Amino acid sequence: MKTNRPVNMDLTTIRLPITAIASILHRISGIVLFVGTAFLIWALGLSLSSAQGFEQVSQLISSVFWFKFIIWGTLAALGYHLVAGVRHLLMDLGLGETKESGALGSQISLVVGVLLAILAGVWLW
Amino acid sequence: MSQLTVSLYRYNPESDQKPRMQEFQLDLPEGKDLMVLDVLALLKEQDTSITYRRSCREGVCGSDGMNISGKNGLACITSLSQVVKNNKLVLRPLPGLPVIRDLVVDMSLFYKQYERIQPYLINNSPVPSIERLQSPEDRAKLDGLYECILCACCSTSCPSFWWNPEKFVGPAGLLQAWRFLADSRDQATEERLAKLDDPFSVFRCRGIMNCVNVCPKGLNPTKAIGHIRSMLLKQAT
Repeated sequence: MKTNRPVNMDLTTIRLPITAIASILHRISGIVLFVGTAFLIWALGLSLSSAQGFEQVSQLISSVFWFKFIIWGTLAALGYHLVAGVRHLLMDLGLGETKESGALGSQISLVVGVLLAILAGVWLW
Repeated sequence: MSQLTVSLYRYNPESDQKPRMQEFQLDLPEGKDLMVLDVLALLKEQDTSITYRRSCREGVCGSDGMNISGKNGLACITSLSQVVKNNKLVLRPLPGLPVIRDLVVDMSLFYKQYERIQPYLINNSPVPSIERLQSPEDRAKLDGLYECILCACCSTSCPSFWWNPEKFVGPAGLLQAWRFLADSRDQATEERLAKLDDPFSVFRCRGIMNCVNVCPKGLNPTKAIGHIRSMLLKQAT
C-alpha cells in the first residue's frame, strides 16, 4: 500500500458559494483591521505627541494619497467586519441558517459592507 | 450529437508520481440529459483503467461523491445540464482526502470522525417486549437528520475539516451527533456532549455553510451544529 498519497486540494478548482466568500472576507477584513489598527495607533500617538506632530499627521492625511487610503481601507474593513459579525450573532440565534436564507444573509452583508466602504470614502474625500 | 470535453483527474499509484488532468472528447446523444455517472461509464468504454466508485446509481448509497466542476455532489443524480458550462465538465476526487486512484479517495478519516460520535442509540433501561416507542412529535425531530447517506460531500467541502480533519468532527459527523442527541430514546446526552466539549470538535465550525450548499439530500449540518452548540452552552452555565 502506498503511504504518501496525493490529495486533491487545489483551491483554484473549487467553487466557493457566496456564504463562503462572505466568510473568508470576514476573516480577511479582520486581518486588515488588526494591521490597520496598529497603524492608526501609531498615527494617534504621533498626533498627540506635540503640536508639531499633530500638524504632521494632518498634513499627511491631506497630501499623501496612500495615507488616506490606509485609513479608508481600515474603515471599510471595520464596516464589513462589523456587519458580518452581526450576521454571525443572528446565525447563533438560528436566523439565516438555511441554504436560501444563508445566501441571502451573505448577500445583504456584502452589499451593506460595500455601502459602508463607499460612505467612508465620501466622508474622507 | 453534441460534443463534450471532460477533464478528468487521473492518478495511478503504480505508475504516476503525481496526479494529472486528462482530457476526453465525448459525443453525447441529442435530446437526453445524461447524469455525470453515465458520462463516466461512457469514458470507461474508451479507457478501461478509469477508476471510480459507484453502486446504486440513484443517490441512495452515497458511493459516487466527487467534485463536479468545482462543487461536490453525487455523480449519479447530478445531470449534465446542471454542471456543464461551455461544453466542459471537470471531474476531480473529493477534496482533502488522500487519493487512492483516480476518483477513489481513502475515507478512513471521515469514518473515524463518524465513529467518534457513537452513531447508535444508547439506552441502558431494560429492553421492552415491543419497540421503544416515540411520540409522532419526537419522531419528527429526526427528520432532516436520519436521511444522511454518509457520502462525505459535506465534510470534504468544509474548510474547517480540510485543515483539522483529525480534531474537527466535520458536518457529516455532527449532523449524526445531533441526530442521537435529539432522539427521545437516547439516554447518553450528557456523555455525548462531554465528548464534544472542546475547542475543536464542534466549535471549529465557522458557519461557512459549504456543507449546506453541497448536500445532495438537502440536509442542513449548519443548523444541527447550532443546536449542539446551544446545548453545550446551556450545560456549561
